[in-house]
Amino acid sequence: MKFSSSKKEQRFWAYLFLGFPLLLMSVFVFFPIAFAFVVSFYDWNLLIPDKPFVGLGNYFELFKDEVFVKAVKNTIVYTMGVVPVQTMLSLFLAFIMNQKIVGIAFFRTAFYIPAVTSSVVTSIIFVWIYSKPGLLNYILDTVGIDSNIDWLTNPSTVLPAIMVLNIWTTSGYFMVSFLAGLQSIPTTLYEAAKIDGANQWRLFKDITVPMVRPVTYFVVVMSLIGCFQVFDQIFIMSSGGPDNSSTTMSYYVYQNSFKYFRFGLGAASAVILALLIFTVTAIQKKYLPPDYY
Amino acid sequence: MRISYFIVLVTLCFSCSNEEKNMRFSSWQSSQTEEKIVRETLESFKKVYPEVAFDYQPIPGNYTEKIQLMLGTGKAPDLFWLKGSTSPAYMSFNVLYPLDSLISATPEFDVDDFFPLFKDAFKYNDTYYGFGKDFNAYVLFYNTEMFEEAGLTSPPTNWEELVTYATKLTKDTNGDGKTNQFGFVVEPTIDMLMPFAYQNGGELISDDNEIKIGEPAFIEAFDFYINLYRTGIATIPSNQGAGWNGDVFGRKQAAMIISGAWLIPYLKESFPDVKYKVAELPMGKYKATLAFSTAYVIPKTTKHLDDTWKMFSYLAGKKGMKEWTSSGIALPTRKSVALENGFYQDSIFSVFMKSVVYAKLYKIDLKERWFDESEAAMQAVFYKGKEPEEVLKKLAKKLEKYKLN
Repeated sequence: MKFSSSKKEQRFWAYLFLGFPLLLMSVFVFFPIAFAFVVSFYDWNLLIPDKPFVGLGNYFELFKDEVFVKAVKNTIVYTMGVVPVQTMLSLFLAFIMNQKIVGIAFFRTAFYIPAVTSSVVTSIIFVWIYSKPGLLNYILDTVGIDSNIDWLTNPSTVLPAIMVLNIWTTSGYFMVSFLAGLQSIPTTLYEAAKIDGANQWRLFKDITVPMVRPVTYFVVVMSLIGCFQVFDQIFIMSSGGPDNSSTTMSYYVYQNSFKYFRFGLGAASAVILALLIFTVTAIQKKYLPPDYY
Repeated sequence: MRISYFIVLVTLCFSCSNEEKNMRFSSWQSSQTEEKIVRETLESFKKVYPEVAFDYQPIPGNYTEKIQLMLGTGKAPDLFWLKGSTSPAYMSFNVLYPLDSLISATPEFDVDDFFPLFKDAFKYNDTYYGFGKDFNAYVLFYNTEMFEEAGLTSPPTNWEELVTYATKLTKDTNGDGKTNQFGFVVEPTIDMLMPFAYQNGGELISDDNEIKIGEPAFIEAFDFYINLYRTGIATIPSNQGAGWNGDVFGRKQAAMIISGAWLIPYLKESFPDVKYKVAELPMGKYKATLAFSTAYVIPKTTKHLDDTWKMFSYLAGKKGMKEWTSSGIALPTRKSVALENGFYQDSIFSVFMKSVVYAKLYKIDLKERWFDESEAAMQAVFYKGKEPEEVLKKLAKKLEKYKLN
């Protein structure tokens, strides 16, 4: 069969099909991103028509604001805690799920369910688990550890508690990515290694880990971005408390924009968050490229 | 083909520039009972003013954010509820319609009928911007069964009695070595602390715009308040796995709590077997409590001023307020309505009517962020074991930044 359409005609249809999504994205994504950047240089109160230009004023104010500094610190601690554990855990889970075990479909589903459950629902469940008369303290008590703390109002446990929740919810999702990666590794590699006398650990370390490297790259990038932007769990579980011990950057953006009428300051902190994500991802791309082997 | 594209475009454009024909009224919805009474009151309004065409558009969630965006984009409803605590910001932004000329043109909208506390509650720079649709105030709820059991016959009337009564009422009822009935409940929030501060002669910010939260009167009150918790005669809701103190009271884990009238329907629905009475707050050096009010306000952008004012003056007027408050869902800000409803005779509502005489309004003339800063300070004392003096002095300095104008 011969295509009758000319190049020109094909191009027309291609742009037409691209045009609609691009138009939507321009209106709802590209323009707002650019506009947020502009807003960050103004003292922008939605309710006052007069919106004075303040230059870098918002940025200076941010770094003088104790709460913002705390938020940056919390966000970094959160990301550094969650990303490595989550990546290793999901790779490990995927490795196990790739074995021939009885009831594997059940386990795969069980591990994936948290990923498809609404984060609001899981957050509320964990609020109960972490409460003083909650499940966690009950379990600790039964195994003989005398624990009588409220995990979400204790300044030293609130952030780790939310980190654990996030690891639990997203590991299943990344497990599926790893699983796909694992299944594309040719079995011949494993067979050859086994003939050479490699044990289970060597197989994992020297074949699985390097072969899934592109997937690892993807997982790390996605979970870095997700962690830097963490909002819903904080919003529901702790509202940034106690005493801002769990305020993160996106929660700070929300607070300033929608509660304190300070869209300019909110936009400025969003720009800093974006820069932070951009920098970390760039560093990662440079030093841990996806195609290493 | 071309023509159909054209039609789609044209209809899109028309729906964009759709001018609102009727006046619109918006409120939040905190319960079904509340929504039912709102709708009933609006039905009665329709009978009195059949010529006013209006739409009631309740906002089910994120009320403050939504109103802010609607005001910012010029799409605000013509009449809406504004929380008293956030009102200073809105009034200072100059987005609300000044009511003075409308009031003087409507003598039957008797401004002097409002309780003194609420008459000028929504006045800014000598201009009226709103009137309280109703009010609520903190009073003391106490469990009469627990009081009887402890041999107490009347509620505490001052701070010393509050401590001794709470000590008597704090018990381990099931003998497991842990307290499971507390005398009192404190919450780590600033509005629960404020009545105690007022009773001690303190205040958060003075009328001439001085931050007073770091002064000894406020610090002493906070010391007293936190010691109720630290000595173990009071608990906090999160320690009991409860969302708020009403839950703790309902589950009979506490004998006394401070709450507003919103607790009454909650107890009736969720914990009907709790036997309780209501009393004025125990006094410190002075009698004081905190009153909350929500205002009806009109945005400057309204295009239906006549209709809107008709609805405003009906709902905040004697007739509308009487219907709205007669069920006791909220308390009237008008003296005449309180009298007509018989609230001075009612054993529960009369307590609120007595409290309104000395209550202070929960409306802080600071930028919105003062609240989160104060909450963080409260949390530092409750959850980090810091001392009130240090925390409040630091807070006072921070709040300087959040003065309006």
